[in-house]
This record gives sequence, structure tokens and C-alpha cells, in this order.
Amino acid sequence: MQHFVIVGILVILMSILTYLGLDAIGLAKQMHPVAGSAQAASIDQLWNLEIIVISFLFSLIVVPMIYSLLVFRRRKDDTTDAEHIEGNTTLEIGWTVAPLIIVVIFAYLGAYSLGEVRRVDPQAFVVNVKAQQFTWVFEYPEYGIVSTELYLPLNKQVVLKMESSDVIHSFWVPEWRVKQDVVPGRVTEYRITPTLEGNFKVRCAELCGVSHYAMESSIVVTDDAGYNAWIAEQIAIAAAAQTPEGKGKLAAVQYGCVGCHSADGSPLTGPTWFGLFGKEQTVLDGSTITVDEAYITESIRDPNAKIAPGFTSPSVMPPYPNLTDEEIANLIAYIQTLK
Amino acid sequence: MTHSQNKSSALMQGVVIFVYLAVLTVIEYFIAVAFDAVPLLIVVAVIKAGLVVYYYMHIYQLNADDGDDEHSYRYKTGTNRIGLWLFLLSDAFVFAGLMVMRANLLGMTRPHLNQTLGLVVTAVLLVSSFFMNRGETAMKHGDVKAFMNNTLVTFVLGLGFFLGVVFVEWRIAAHEGLTASFGNPSVGPVGGVFYMMTGMHAFHVLTGLIFLGVVWNNARKGVYSAEQHWGVEAAAVYWHFVDLVWIFFYPALYLIGTAV
Amino acid sequence: MKKFFSSALARGLFWQLIGLLAGAGLVTGIRALMGLSTTDTFFFTEPAWVLGGFISALFFLVGSGVTSDWIKWARGIDTPDHHEDHHTGWEKYINLSLDHKVIGIQYTLVALVLIGIGGLFALIFRTELAASELQFLTEDIKLFGQNGPQLYNTLMSLHGMIMIVSILLGISGIINYVVPLLLGAQDMAFPRLNAFSYWIAVPAAVLLLMSLFLGGFDTGWTGYPPLSARAPVGMQMFFLGVFVAGWSSILGALNVIVTVLRMRAKGMTAMKMPIFVWAAIATSLIALTATQLIGLSFQLVMFQRLLGMGFFDPAKGGNPVLFQHLFWFYSHPAVYVFVLPGLGVISELLPVFVRKPLFGYRWIAMSSLGIALVGFVVWAHHMFTSGMNEYLRVPFMYSTLLVAVPTGVKFFSWVATMWKGKISTPTPMLFVLGAIVVFLMGGLSGPPNATVSTDLHLHDTYFIVGHFHDTIFGGFVFPFFAAIYYWYPKATGRKMNETLGKLHFWLMTPSFFVLTFLMMYTGLIGMRRRIADYDPALGIDFYHLLMTIAGYLIAISVIIFLYNFFVSMKKGEKAEGNVWNSRSPEWQVPSPMPVHNYDQPFEVVGEPYDYGLKDSTYVRFVESAKSAHK
Repeated sequence: MQHFVIVGILVILMSILTYLGLDAIGLAKQMHPVAGSAQAASIDQLWNLEIIVISFLFSLIVVPMIYSLLVFRRRKDDTTDAEHIEGNTTLEIGWTVAPLIIVVIFAYLGAYSLGEVRRVDPQAFVVNVKAQQFTWVFEYPEYGIVSTELYLPLNKQVVLKMESSDVIHSFWVPEWRVKQDVVPGRVTEYRITPTLEGNFKVRCAELCGVSHYAMESSIVVTDDAGYNAWIAEQIAIAAAAQTPEGKGKLAAVQYGCVGCHSADGSPLTGPTWFGLFGKEQTVLDGSTITVDEAYITESIRDPNAKIAPGFTSPSVMPPYPNLTDEEIANLIAYIQTLK
Repeated sequence: MTHSQNKSSALMQGVVIFVYLAVLTVIEYFIAVAFDAVPLLIVVAVIKAGLVVYYYMHIYQLNADDGDDEHSYRYKTGTNRIGLWLFLLSDAFVFAGLMVMRANLLGMTRPHLNQTLGLVVTAVLLVSSFFMNRGETAMKHGDVKAFMNNTLVTFVLGLGFFLGVVFVEWRIAAHEGLTASFGNPSVGPVGGVFYMMTGMHAFHVLTGLIFLGVVWNNARKGVYSAEQHWGVEAAAVYWHFVDLVWIFFYPALYLIGTAV
Repeated sequence: MKKFFSSALARGLFWQLIGLLAGAGLVTGIRALMGLSTTDTFFFTEPAWVLGGFISALFFLVGSGVTSDWIKWARGIDTPDHHEDHHTGWEKYINLSLDHKVIGIQYTLVALVLIGIGGLFALIFRTELAASELQFLTEDIKLFGQNGPQLYNTLMSLHGMIMIVSILLGISGIINYVVPLLLGAQDMAFPRLNAFSYWIAVPAAVLLLMSLFLGGFDTGWTGYPPLSARAPVGMQMFFLGVFVAGWSSILGALNVIVTVLRMRAKGMTAMKMPIFVWAAIATSLIALTATQLIGLSFQLVMFQRLLGMGFFDPAKGGNPVLFQHLFWFYSHPAVYVFVLPGLGVISELLPVFVRKPLFGYRWIAMSSLGIALVGFVVWAHHMFTSGMNEYLRVPFMYSTLLVAVPTGVKFFSWVATMWKGKISTPTPMLFVLGAIVVFLMGGLSGPPNATVSTDLHLHDTYFIVGHFHDTIFGGFVFPFFAAIYYWYPKATGRKMNETLGKLHFWLMTPSFFVLTFLMMYTGLIGMRRRIADYDPALGIDFYHLLMTIAGYLIAISVIIFLYNFFVSMKKGEKAEGNVWNSRSPEWQVPSPMPVHNYDQPFEVVGEPYDYGLKDSTYVRFVESAKSAHK
């Protein structure tokens, strides 16, 4: 009996210590990192409850184990067996039923918390998200804006309607807690209410190919004034971009070209566009070509035709057979400006 | 009951079961044509499967008393039998997976296929199962000659089924536009589903044919007797299993839903 | 050397190469006749590689001689039940044997080789992750047609699958060696099928490794389409390798079930079987059935790639999420295949070192079956963020959490077994204790992944990586080492060195805790799974450095183990008697185990774990061979 009392006290102490220890490194009351959305609140609440139970269960197993190891260890020269205890049906039923009850409670809490996360605000506005290897593109249908950055106003629910043009991606902003796969052939929804101002990053969480690790785009959450200013600025940029170069620049964003081709010479998954036009280069099959309209058009329609030096075959780039001639001409016009 | 009466009643049972199966297949066809009632089709398929599993595959033998001597042929046959049935259980998961795939991708649509041909290949396989049963029953009573004759018929029918699927059914389907890569978002990947399901089944028919050829040849060499013929039993059970799969695949491909 | 080149292994590998060339050549020839292209980036075209790979596995099997008896049977020629091994020493293990003990050791050796290869891959990419930015797996390097990040993806994906195959072989190793001994059987029910199950895993491993040299693949071990439908030809070799390895698992499981059903000693009723046998049964039930579904799902992608069948291609009306359902229908129960035998080892060894009966034998036995059965209906918890039907998420959350109940029964029973025991801690017991604590960590980090809303954050992060390394180390790696230390004397007649064994344990365990705890921690902060590089702004560089150091320490501890394993065969302390003072039948006869196991059959006269009960034994050897078996 005495053993039970000591172990009981130790289990309680250990549970408290474990919880406090996890709390000290910021793991108990909320998940890492800092919570940045309304949805995160109910998730963190559930997490906290789970950590309490985990701390207790951890202690409940580990403390009696260590206690047994220390107190019931075999003494030197004792070769006899221990007491013959085969089992105890009451105990077994107890530790089957008690966890069962905890499981049912947590399943209920889990479902409740999921409901909170999925709560719909009828006022929510829509942003279309286009994912492709290895870039995110955001369209604001109300304003006709296309951007590689996601700007959102504070404390307003937004519905991201997400589509993928190639493989499965997953939209994850750690501060917002919620994650949703983007599956080709269907539209998935991501509902979020940002509650924290600042700069964040959406990180693709589903392995999507060679440069999956680099598939991150920035997200800015600002107050209404900042948001409206950004919208106005974007509209102005779109309006100004009536030249072929301007349209080409927008198309480069819209089709996700910028995810792999930099405009400033920095190395990304594909060749940079900086200083590309007019360059002479030896392509993978050994022939020397000049980068001109014909070559760029061919490379857009069939990326495998002539692969630029330093890149692997088959090309990582998907073919874009649906681009119109005008769009390609605009893109080329834009590329020509990058010198 | 004398030996020959026993044999003739076993053969009679095979005939009765065959008639049941044939009638049920016809009923199935008319249910599909007249009502398109999926639950009813499932019920009929399950009844057919039950008849095959019990009367043709003799599942109850798993429960047979195999004696105490671990080294006896009888005991070893009992062990082998459990092994074979576990293998079939495992294999059934492949076909179940294919059915799930079909249900998920095509739902209440089905490929556009030649119905007469479907009935013909189904009938051929059903008749082959009937002769397989006759062959096995003959072997149980030590009649090697009758076993070989019946197995030969089974083999020829099975070969007919296999060649019919690959060279007639597939060819006609491809000719009518149902190629392996056929499919679009509005109809689903019909081509893939059709060829994968029939192909996987045909592959099993092919292995079953090889199995039949092996036991036929061994019977010719005099390897089997009324008491010792595990190879024959295994080949027969496997052959009926292949038929069993078709009992479910036939309605899934030919009868359920609307053709696209 | 000459002995090596005439071995079944060498013959098999030679014929595998011939088969590969023959198959690929055949397809190339046909393509040439049809006027299609005959070469590609990796010399042969993709269909040629696939058919070649498939034929190579068949040629291996025929070439190594494992199918010889069956071919004779098919031709009506009878063969003796048992073949005497005419090989001795190490040659036994690279040649065909029908003895379950030899096959068990063969499995274990190949598992150790694969653990070595998979571990090496892990060290390579762990080193790359030690600091942010790409250091040596950069965009500029080109190896096997892959640049750095692609190579990273290949190595990371292969690490996963090679470790999974090594685990499947490792559990088959233990089960093959131990189960017939525990049952009092002379061998497995189907010795030839048993040899076949082992030998088919060898060409499978070769195919799997070939994927590294054929452009690799960048999908992770899960191989989700559409990505896997676009990956290089290495993807096909990966699918093929897994498909072939799956047959090893399926047929091995079939054999185990039949053996347990038919070959038990007299008097061994279900509730008197050693507890490990229950675990083997539970694990085999899953492996026998569910494995077909991963085979099917991979096969479907292979056909999609070869013939344009649009199963998972949205442009053709296919459904990428369907693949995930089919895949996880096996791949979640698979983790129970991995851990159940390990948990069985814990339950089997614990009473021996505690000198007390296993607490609640029936409950532990039933909990294994419970885990296996519940395991069939939880798969979609891997897909909470996949875009599947919203309403499916809640029932799958319930079923997943339910797994905690039978698992809890095991933990509580283990603790109750230790309570008031007389515990000694030689190396096998240390690994048992380590297994319990590590598996506890894995188990407790599970529920946050099971409740949907918290999983929305945790899914596909390093938290998951930490969680499953805990479960697999606790459920397989630690018990696997425990089993090796424990049954090593039975197989060799010598003990492994205790000091080195303890060093192995005390080096590996703390390093492992550091590794997985930091995995979970960085995962919460924002570290994703399967990335070649991470954002320095996350501020997790230092943790990654620590993880890399811990990884290397684990590698060193495993090298110590391997040294101990091989050196002790010749130099270990002699141990021919009942070294652990166990009640189990295999320890009642001298070590190493005689060729045909028990010279005298035994019959079960007591309970398996009645330690502390005076004058009781589990088994009694009987004189007459006839009456002993049921």
C-alpha cells in the first residue's frame, strides 16, 4: 500500500513538472509559433488540453516504471522468482474503460474544435489561389488584381479558393495553424480570419517536386487602411500596364513564371530572364542557339525541345500549350526589358 | 449408399448448381435491363457467389477432420487447403480494390460495351466452371480418364474466354473508341478502368489455365489418385475463384449504371 | 571467393542482370519494329526498364534455385520433404536453405544491410540539413541525372522505403526464427514458400536501389500522383521494388498464420501460446490482406505512366485522392505490421527479466488483435487536409483515437508486470525498457495528430516525422535489438558482449530522444517535411545542428552493435544453456539449436509465464514422437 501512495504522489508531481516544463519552452498553452488567426484560438485550446492529458499519462507510465526499476530491482545473489501475480480483471477493465471515456471526450472536443475552425462568416470575401510548381499566385476577383503576394486585411474572414494546375500542393501558414491541400482537378477552400498584423509566409507543405522547399510566398496582414492603399496601388499598376511589356510582366505573375525565373539574375529553379534575350548558348543536345523570339516561344510550348545549359533533362517545367500568341509576344517583350 | 450412387449424386448436384447459376445470370441481365436496380443486382451476385463458394469450392472442407498424424497426406492437404484459402483471401483484396476504384471513378456510369459479347463470355466461364466441378468430382472417385476429359473441356473453354477477352472484346472496344487512355473529366477514365479490371481478371484466367495444364499433365502421368489429389483440388478451387471474381466484375462492367 | 560466386545469391544476381537485359531488350526490339523511340535519358525507354525490372525479379528467383522444387512438382516429380543443408558456416546464409532458422537469420542479415544503407542515406541528407541554405546538395551538382535538391528528394524518399522494407524483413526474421521454436514445430508449414518469401525480397531491394541511379524520384515514400506520374523513370523502379517486396510480406504472413493454426505442440491452446505468437498472428493478418492495396495503388500509377490510363489524372476524369485512399488502406495498418511484433517481443521478454508472470496475458493477446482490427478503419487520418469529403474526417478521428485503448492496455499491463518484480537489467532488458519509453513518446504524440483541428497544423510537418520515428523506434528498432541480444545465444551458442551492448544502448537512447524531440519542436515552429532546405528566418538552425549530431551518434552506436554482432560469433562468451533462465521451450534445449529443432517433441503442461509458481513448467518433453503432436 505504501508503494502505491508514494507512486501516486510522484505521478502527480511528475505530471505537474512535465506540464510546467513544456510550458516553459512555450509548448503547452499554445502551439508554436505565435497564433495569428481566429481559427488558431480553438486549436490551441484543444492542444493545451491534450498536453495536460499527455503530461499525466506520460507520468503515469514512466514514474511506476522507474520506481519499479529502483525499488524492485533484483538484489545481488537473489536467484528466486518474484511473487506470482497473474493479473487482475478489475484493473484491466478499469484501464480499458477509463481511456475509452477519455477518447470519447477528446473525439467530441476534436469535432467541436473542428466546427469552430470551419465556422463560416457570411461576409467573407474571396481570393483565388493558383498553385503550381513552385509558386503561389493570388487573384482578387473583385478588383481584377493578380499578385504573387497575399495582402489581407486584419480581422476579416477570407475564403481562399485554391486550384492547382499540376501536382498536389498544400497551403500552410504556421501562424494561422490551418493547412489545406490544393488538388489538381478540384477547388479546395481555405477559410481564415487573420488576427495578427505583420509579414508571414505561406509554405507549401506537400512535396511537389525538385524545388518544393523553395515554394514559399510572402503574406502581409495589415489594417484596413494599409490594405485599401495596397489594393489601389495594384489597380493603378494594372491600369498602367497597357503596353506589351506591362502585360507581359503581369502574365509572368499570372502564369507563375516568376516562381522559377528571376528577373534580376538570382538563381532559381529555371534560367534567369535577366539578360537572357539575345544571348548565345549551347543547349543540352550540343547545338548552339541564340535566344530569340522563336526559341522562347518553342521553350514555352515545349520545354523539353532545347534545354538550357546547366539544367536537367527532362525539364522540370510543364509545357504551356494554352498561351495565346499575343500573350507569348507580351512575355517576350517583357523579357527583352530585363537587361 | 454405394460408391457409384455417391458419385452420380455428386455429379447431379453439380448440374443443379449450374442450372441455378445460369438462371440467376439471366435474371441478373433482365433486372439490369428492366429496372437498373443496383441493390438487387448485388443481392443476385452475392447469391451466385455463395453457391460457387459452397458447392463448387467446398469451403466447408476447411473444417474437415484431418486426423492426428502430421505426416499423413490428409493432414498435409488440410494444411495446404488453409494456405490456398488464405491466398485467395489476399487476392480478393486486389479485386475488391479494383471494385472500389470502379465505384469511385465511374460511379453510376459504365463503359459502352457489346452486351451480347458480355453474356457470351460470362456463359463460357460459367460452363467451364461446371466442367471443372465434374472433373474434380470424377477425380474424387478415382476416375482419372473422366477427370482428364472434363478438365480438357474446362481448359478449352477457359482459353476461349481468355482469347475472347483479349482478341475480341478488347479489339471491339478499342475499335469503338474505348482505348486504354480514353477518358475525360465528364465521363471519367473509363478506358483505364475497363482494361485494368478485365486485364487483371484475364491475367488470373491465364494463370488458372497454366495450373489446369499442369494438373492435366500430371494426371496423365498418373500422379493423382482418389485419395491423393491435392493438386487437382487446388487447381479446381482456383479456377472457381476466377469465376467468382467474374460474378462481380460482370455486373460492375456490363450492367450497373448508364453506358457512356 | 569461389564459394561466393557459386552461391545461390550470386547466381540469382547474375540471372537478374540477364533478365533485366533480356526484358529491356525485348521491349526495345518490339519498339524498334513498331518504329517507336528505342532509347531515352537512361539508355532504355521507360517501358523497357519496367518489363526488364519485372523479368529480372523472375529470373533471380529461377536462377537462385528457389523455385526448383516447385518446377519439379509441376512436372510430376516428387521431392523429399526436407533437404539437408550441405553448406556450413557463412555459406549457409547466401545459399538456399529450407530451414526456418537459417531463413530467419538470412532475413535479419538483409534487414541489417538495408538499415545500414537507409541509415547512410539519412546521414547524407541530415548533414545537408545541419544548417540552412544548400551546402553540398546544390543546384549545380549533377549525379545520376539529378541535381542537388532532386538528389535530396531521392535519398529522403529512398530512406523511407528502404527502412520500411528492412523493417518488414526484420520482423520476418524474428518471426521466422522464433515462432516455430515457440510452437514446438520442426519448421514453418510451407518451407519452400518460406524460402521463396525471403529470396524474393533480395531482387526487390535491388530494384528499389536501382531507382537512385535512374534519375531518382521526388515524391517521398508515399508516391502520390500526379507528382509520381511525372517523376523520372526511377519512380517505376521504386514502384516495382515495393510491389515485389510486398509479395515477400504477403506470402510470409500466409505461412505464419498456417504454421500457427496447424503446427502447435500438443496442449498448446490459444490462450497458452507464447504472447509473441499472438503478435505474429495479428501482424500477419494485416500483412496478408492489406498489402495487396499498396501493390494495387502502385500498379495503377505504373499503368497510368505506361499506357496513359487516367486513374489519377484529373484531365481524364481521374481522382488523385483515390490513390491516397488505396495507399493508406495498407500504409496505415502497415505501421501496426511494423510495431506489433516489437510489442510482442516486449511482452515476451519482460516476464523473463522481471521474474513475474505477464500481467493480464489474455488482455495483451486480445489488444494485439484489437489494434490490428481497428487499424483497418483508420487510414483516412492521413488525409485530413487532403480535400477528401469533409464529413469523413470526424468518424476517422473517432476510430483513430480508439487505437489508444488497446495500446493503453499494453502499457498498463507492462507496468503492472514490472510492479513488485525482481528486475535485472542485462542488455536485452535495457532495450525492452527503452522500447517502452520511446514507444510511449510516440504514442502520446499521436492523439494531437488524430484530432482533426490540431492535425491541420501538424500534418506534413517535422512534428509528424518526430512522432513516427518515435513509434517505429519504440515499436520496432529497440525491440529488434532486444530480440537480437536475447536470442543471439540461441542461434550461435555465444553471448554478445554486455559492455558493448550497454554502450550501444546508452549512446543510442539519449541521442534518439534529442533527435525526435527536436523534430517535433521544429515541426511546430514551421519546419515542413521533405524539404531540402529551410528558411533561416525560422531560427531553427541550431536545433538542426543538434539533430545532425544526434543522428551521427546513433550511427556510431549502430556501428558498435554491428561490430559486437559479428565479432561475438567467434569470440563471444560461450552460452549453451538457459542463459536467461527462461521458461520458454527453446531455452530448455542446448544452444545452438539443433538442425531439426527439438529432438524430442514437447507437450504444454502449464502457463507460459508462471514465474514464481513453485514446481511448475510450461512444457514437458515426451518420448514418443507420435503422441506428442496434436
